[in-house]
Amino acid sequence: MGWMRRQRLIGYLFILPSIIGVLTFFTFPLLFSVILAFTNWSGPGGINTEFIGTTNFINMFNDSIFLTTIKNTGIYLLHVPISVGLAFIVAIILNRMVYMRNTLRAMFFLPYITSSIAIAFVWMLLLSPSNGPVNETLRAIGITNPPSWLASGDTAMHAINLMSVWFILGFNVIIFLAALQNVPAELEEAARVDGAKFWHIQLFITFPLVSPITFFLLIIGFINTFKNFGLIHALTGGGPGDSTNVLALYVYQNAFRYYELGYASAIAVILFIIILIVTLIQWYIQRKWVYYQ
Amino acid sequence: MSILRAKALDQKAAANPLSKGRILKVLMTIVMSILAIFMILPFIWMLSTSFKSPSEVFVFPIQWIPADPSFEHHIKVWLDNHFAQYYFNSLKVAILGTGGAIIIGSLAAYGFARISFKGRDLIFFLYLSMMMVPPQVLFVPKFIMFDWAGIYNTHWALILPSFVTIFGVFYLRQFFLGIPKEISESAFIDGAGHLRIFFQIFLPLAKPAIVTFAIIDFSWNWNNYEDALVFLISEQLFTVPLGLQNFVHEFSIDYNGMMAAASAAIIPMIIIFFIGQKYIIQSVASSAVKG
Repeated sequence: MGWMRRQRLIGYLFILPSIIGVLTFFTFPLLFSVILAFTNWSGPGGINTEFIGTTNFINMFNDSIFLTTIKNTGIYLLHVPISVGLAFIVAIILNRMVYMRNTLRAMFFLPYITSSIAIAFVWMLLLSPSNGPVNETLRAIGITNPPSWLASGDTAMHAINLMSVWFILGFNVIIFLAALQNVPAELEEAARVDGAKFWHIQLFITFPLVSPITFFLLIIGFINTFKNFGLIHALTGGGPGDSTNVLALYVYQNAFRYYELGYASAIAVILFIIILIVTLIQWYIQRKWVYYQ
Repeated sequence: MSILRAKALDQKAAANPLSKGRILKVLMTIVMSILAIFMILPFIWMLSTSFKSPSEVFVFPIQWIPADPSFEHHIKVWLDNHFAQYYFNSLKVAILGTGGAIIIGSLAAYGFARISFKGRDLIFFLYLSMMMVPPQVLFVPKFIMFDWAGIYNTHWALILPSFVTIFGVFYLRQFFLGIPKEISESAFIDGAGHLRIFFQIFLPLAKPAIVTFAIIDFSWNWNNYEDALVFLISEQLFTVPLGLQNFVHEFSIDYNGMMAAASAAIIPMIIIFFIGQKYIIQSVASSAVKG
C-alpha cells in the first residue's frame, strides 16, 4: 500500500471514533425516539409493544397536565429576554465606565461556571418563606407580606425565573463584553460630537451593532430553557401541584416515573419540533432587525 | 480600540482629579460592585452557614461571620452519608469522561480541519446539527439501548456518552483552522504523516485551547445531574449532584450539613475557575463571537 493511500486511511481513522459516537449516542437514538413515539412501549423491555399510530399525539391534547406544562414553559422562557436586556446594560457599564473591570466581570460570571444542583439548594434555603434570609430582609425593609417563593403555586415559577436570571446573567455579560470590543469607537465619537446623549448612543448605535449577538444569546437561551429540567426537578419536582412542571420535566416523569416510554417519546418529539420552530422563527425575524456589518 | 479610549479617558481624568468623567467612573464602580456582591452573596451565605451552629442558621440580621465557627458539619458530611463515595464517583466519571472527550474530540477536530475528503463539510454540518437535539429526545432510547447493552445503572452509562462532545470538536476545530496551513503542508512534503503532524505540531500548539476545553468539559461532567438522575439507581453509584439531592431529602432539617456538602461540591469548581479564569472567559467569548 502506498504512503499516500495509507495517509488517507489514517485520516479517516481520525474522525471515525467521533462519527461512531455521534451515530450511537445522537443519530440512532433520535430515529429510535421518533419510532417509539408511535408505539405504546412501556417498561424497559417493551413487552407487548404495538404501533398505535398517532394515538399518543391525540392523547396529549386531552392531557391537562401536558397543557399546563406548555403554559409553564412559556413563563419559564421569560427569564431569557430579561437577563439578556440586563446583561446589555451591565456590559455597557463594565466596558469602560468602571475601575476593577476584570474583578467585577469574574464576580458576575461565578454563578454561571458553578451552576449546579448544589447552589440550587442554597437558593432553596435563602428563599424559605417563613424565616429565610431573603424574606427576613424584605420584612426588615417594611414589606409585611413577602412572597412564599417556591412554596406557593402562584410564585414558584417566578422564583425559578429569578434564580435562572442569576445563573445566566454572567454568561450573557461576558458575550456582550466581547462583542463590544468590535464596535468602532469613531461612530460613537461622531454621535457625541453631534450632541447625542449617552444612553441614546447606546440604544441607537451600539445596540444595533451588537444585535447579531443579542440574537445569538436569545436563541441559545431559549433552546437551553426548553431543554433544562434539572433545576426544577431538584427544587420543586414540578410542584406545588403542577405549577412548575415544564415540558422537559414532563417527558422525564412519563418515562422514568410512569414508564410510559412511548408517550414520553411523543412529547419529546413535540419538544424537538417546538425548538426547531422557535429557531426558524428567530432566523426569520432576525433578518428584519439584525444589523450585520 | 476601547482600551485606547479608556486610557485616554484615564489620562484626562488624571490631569483633573475631580473631572466629571472620573466622578462618574467612581460612581459606576460603586453601583456595579453592589450588584456584583449580590451575585456572590449566595456563595458567602453558604460558606458562612456551613460553619454555624443549627440555632444560628436563620438568625436575623444575618450573621455573615459565625460567632463560634466550627468544622463539625464539614467533618460529619465527609464521615457519614456516603458523601466521600459520591465524591469519588464524581471524580471518576468526570476524569474519565473528560479524558476520553479530549482524545476523541481533538482527533476529530484535526480530521475536520485538515484532512480533505469528499463531502467533509456536509458531514461536519450534519454532525453539528445534532447539537440541536434536546437530551429529552435521547433519554428514552438511550435508556432502552443501555439496558440492552448491560450498562444501565453503571458509570459507563455516563462516561461513554460524554466521550462525544460536539461542542468540543467544534471549538478545537476552530482553533486548528487558525494554525497556518503552510506549517502542516510543508511538514507533509517533508514526509511527516498525519499522526506526526498531529502529535508533534498541532497538539503542542493547541495546548491553551485543550486546557480550556478540559476545564469546561470537566465542569459539565462534574455538574451533570440529569444523566445521573436518568441512568443511575444504585445509591453507591451516585455522583455528587445526585447524592446531594438524596442528602437534602433525607436530612432536610440539617441545614448546616447541607451547606457543608454544597460547599464541598462547589469549591473545586470555584478554585478551577479562578486558576483558569482568563482562558475560560476568553474561550466562552470567542466561541460565541467568532463562531
